Amino acid sequence: MLVKPIRSHDSVAAWDAGLRRQWGGDPLGEDPAKLEVLDAFCRLMDRDPDELVAFCFLRKRATGERFASAKRREELLLKLKEFETAAGRGVEARRRRSQVVSFLSHNGVLIY
Amino acid sequence: MEYSEVVGIRRSIRFFDPDRPVEREKVQKILEAMRLGSCAMNAHWLRAVVVFRDEMSPESFEKVKLPVAGVIMELAPVHIYCYGDLSVVAKDHGARPKQLIDVGALGPSHGWTYRFIDEFVWPQVLEPLYKNSTYPAAMAFDNGGCATQGLLMAYNLGLGACWTAFNTEGAKEVLGIPDDWLPHYLLNVGYPLESRAAGGQRPRPPFEELYFEGRADNPFRRDRAVVEELEREKMIQAPAPLPGRREEMRQLARKLGLPE
Repeated sequence: MLVKPIRSHDSVAAWDAGLRRQWGGDPLGEDPAKLEVLDAFCRLMDRDPDELVAFCFLRKRATGERFASAKRREELLLKLKEFETAAGRGVEARRRRSQVVSFLSHNGVLIY
Repeated sequence: MEYSEVVGIRRSIRFFDPDRPVEREKVQKILEAMRLGSCAMNAHWLRAVVVFRDEMSPESFEKVKLPVAGVIMELAPVHIYCYGDLSVVAKDHGARPKQLIDVGALGPSHGWTYRFIDEFVWPQVLEPLYKNSTYPAAMAFDNGGCATQGLLMAYNLGLGACWTAFNTEGAKEVLGIPDDWLPHYLLNVGYPLESRAAGGQRPRPPFEELYFEGRADNPFRRDRAVVEELEREKMIQAPAPLPGRREEMRQLARKLGLPE
């Protein structure tokens, strides 16, 4: 459950900045559906956008160094599959999944 | 297509037409080109396993793909997994360089005789080589050259290609790879959805930072006239980014339902 507006999250600001750098213009402003899709996925995960990004990483006990968790990536992949399948099949359903993947990529999370 | 243009038009293609299969004969031509590559001692370590993507089960595909290469592998209809067979030299005992003597490629004019191979090349060069830790690097160098011939053939045939890593553990199981094959890279092949120019030639370090003459601190002088000649031959082409490239990438991503 989101307790504050979705755009107020640092990870969403990072997504916005990444999209602007890559494509120019105001991609999130021009296509509000992107945020709606992210919001829907966050609800499925029961995490806000910042928590969703944080979920993908763990820290080494000894050094505190952050690393991408393969186990959590697998978990996230399953949820993405569920999210995509709920929208049907084909390119439209895939695009829905891709909006979330775009958000994650622009936050440094590689997932496919 | 002329050789210069083939070299010039090669780009790592990352947007393939996923629904357009690659003809089997074109795949064979790529392999034939690899086979004719230059190789020390005629050893020919390169091994390649071709997988037609749609013939691989989804479960197997999940095992061989890596997150960083997943999109490319999913789009490319043909995957050529390249390996180096570390067992070649040990099994061969100098037989392959002797083949070169038999066919007249090597001869006494350059010091090559059967006895030279038996008494010097095998015991003092080849046998120590394959027991040496540098052996895989030497093998990989030759294999890269052979594989590049196949890569260029793909472009000569109107295809596109892209080298990626792959999940070597998964591939070993799925493809039945022998223990003594060292994994190299995977050549993804297909018909490009991108324009032929694919946004232009990619950035390269300055020529003089890479190549030298006489000594490693003396850059090889780059002659502008030669560059212009290669431009006319389409080997040196307009550099990336070409106008409209970002829009092209965006349209391709949307068409394929990929992230932006």
